[in-house]
Amino acid sequence: MTKERGGSIIFLAAGIYGLAFSMGFPMGKWNAPGPGVFPLSLSILLCTFGFVWFVQGRAKEGEKPRERLAGLFGKSGTPLQIIGLTAAFIFLLEPLGYLLAAMLYTFTLFFLVSRYKVWISAALAMAFGAGSWIFFTKVLSTPLPTGLLGL
Amino acid sequence: MDVLNNLVAGFQTALTFKNIYLCFIGCLWGTVVGILPGIGPLAGIALLIPATFGMDATGAIIMLAGIYYGAMYGGSTTSILMNIPGESASVVSCLEGYQMTRKGRGGAALFIAAWGSWIGGTLGIAGLMFLAPLLANQAVKFGPPEMFALLLIAFILLGSLGKGSFFRTAPMILLGLLIGTVGMDQLTGTMRFTHGIKELYDGIGFIPVAMGVFGIGEILSSVEESLVRQAHRVRFRELLPSREELRASWGPIFRGTGLGFFIGLLPGSAHVLASFLSYTLEKRLSRKPQEFGTGRIEGVAGPETANNAASESAMIPFLGLGIPTGPAPAVMMIALLIHGVRPGPLFISEQPQVFWGLVASMYIGNVILIILNLPLVGLFINLLRVPFRILFPVILLVCLVGTYAVNSSVVELIILLVSGVLGYLFRKFDFDIAPFILAMIIGPTIEMTFRQSLMRSGGSFSIFWASPISLALFALSGVLLLWNVYRALRPKRASWEKVLEEGT
Repeated sequence: MTKERGGSIIFLAAGIYGLAFSMGFPMGKWNAPGPGVFPLSLSILLCTFGFVWFVQGRAKEGEKPRERLAGLFGKSGTPLQIIGLTAAFIFLLEPLGYLLAAMLYTFTLFFLVSRYKVWISAALAMAFGAGSWIFFTKVLSTPLPTGLLGL
Repeated sequence: MDVLNNLVAGFQTALTFKNIYLCFIGCLWGTVVGILPGIGPLAGIALLIPATFGMDATGAIIMLAGIYYGAMYGGSTTSILMNIPGESASVVSCLEGYQMTRKGRGGAALFIAAWGSWIGGTLGIAGLMFLAPLLANQAVKFGPPEMFALLLIAFILLGSLGKGSFFRTAPMILLGLLIGTVGMDQLTGTMRFTHGIKELYDGIGFIPVAMGVFGIGEILSSVEESLVRQAHRVRFRELLPSREELRASWGPIFRGTGLGFFIGLLPGSAHVLASFLSYTLEKRLSRKPQEFGTGRIEGVAGPETANNAASESAMIPFLGLGIPTGPAPAVMMIALLIHGVRPGPLFISEQPQVFWGLVASMYIGNVILIILNLPLVGLFINLLRVPFRILFPVILLVCLVGTYAVNSSVVELIILLVSGVLGYLFRKFDFDIAPFILAMIIGPTIEMTFRQSLMRSGGSFSIFWASPISLALFALSGVLLLWNVYRALRPKRASWEKVLEEGT
């Protein structure tokens, strides 16, 4: 997959989604355009651009698709780990509370992604988890979920 | 005289203990976020928005603006000493600044960057205080058709100033506009793309999307590189530039001020563009262009001045027209809206204490920043000794808390993560993100003005060329569009376009 094709897939997906739903919105008349006119027009244009980029971005002769994909996403293991851990943090934030969730989140990041030893990861997670909790809740008075610990 | 009287009143507002303190905090935080790679002014501002809830609008905007222009100062430090831009506008400073560091002249590069930033920033504020009221007075006469035409020009310029060709930027703008339509339609109350999720009724929050594509997206891209980075030490006595370096810097500093001020008025990543164009200009004007890339002081002085001047002049369309020209002004606009203040043509006349207090505080902030960034630069450099593998989990946490704090919503965290993944993919596929973000925030206004114009004219499109102002603006947008299409289709690129395409 070339870079252009990668982008075109996002544009096409967004355009098709917009097209599918905006057709259900009222279109109104020219003297009172409805809420569907703008999203519908944008979706049509997005589909058009997406299609053009998809065609334009086709592989050139002699290039192996596997090499191009490896070039683009060969090092994506670490970002994928971070995305997964962040999703888990978001899911656990309200049930566990910020303090606990932040410590768990930073611990796994330090241990799995940054490759620190367990005890260093734990110490860093405690320091940054508790430190950020004190900074946000006590200094900035930011409302954060209290969760299990009630803190 | 009016301007001077207003400025005096502005200083009376800005020189209270509370506002000086807020300005200092903003500048200090701005310098820190500018220095730290991965946290830009956008995340820095978003993070402190909840802290402004208990303040008045003047105090809030003084602090948030301090973060914005403070980050421009701080961004150069990381570029010069580590070859890593702390802020996107400082990418160019890596080219010459880091080479100077390798030759033992990093201190002089830091001095010239701070000095140029101060001159560019101060002259930029002077331009802001004269031009913004003038622009606002003209814009008061604008109805929906004129505003629509003006926004159309903004979008075409967004398309032409982004990375890559117009056809590469246009779909990003369209995507941003489409995301901007999510939520309740303001004219009819119809829900669009909300799927029954009540957190989406007010639309997709700008802060989670911006923090996601810029903050999280940047981290996801950065962790693919090595997590080990090294900062060079600089001693205080090494900060003084030589007489030749000072002499060589004056021209680039003043050219950078003019260029940056003009570019800052345009929508898009103006401060990034300003620094790239300034670098190209200095290379063109140099008697020894072949030495660029080996550590020329002109390549630091011009771009660093230009990005500061651009960040000040970017406040003119934002405050005078209500059109934010970059992601950071857009977040500041949201903060002002939270405080019940709407930037736009009536802002300066209805809220003079906020506007003039801000202008005066920017003069004060520039003095604070030169103190923070010259004698105290050694203190900030210590921040760079923190390894990136410790820093990035903290930056991620900051983005997550900054987003959650605004509305205490988990849905916004999900939007943040999805946007982060999108930002990562767009970086991979080489599509420019700034137009996407700006389109998202200006989109609802362009749709509203388009529909209001047609409702006013009873469905006749002639309303768009009925007044001389809208006719002129439409003609200009037509010319710009044709020029962009021509530029995108022609086989050869100008040298400045190549620099932009390769560098941004």
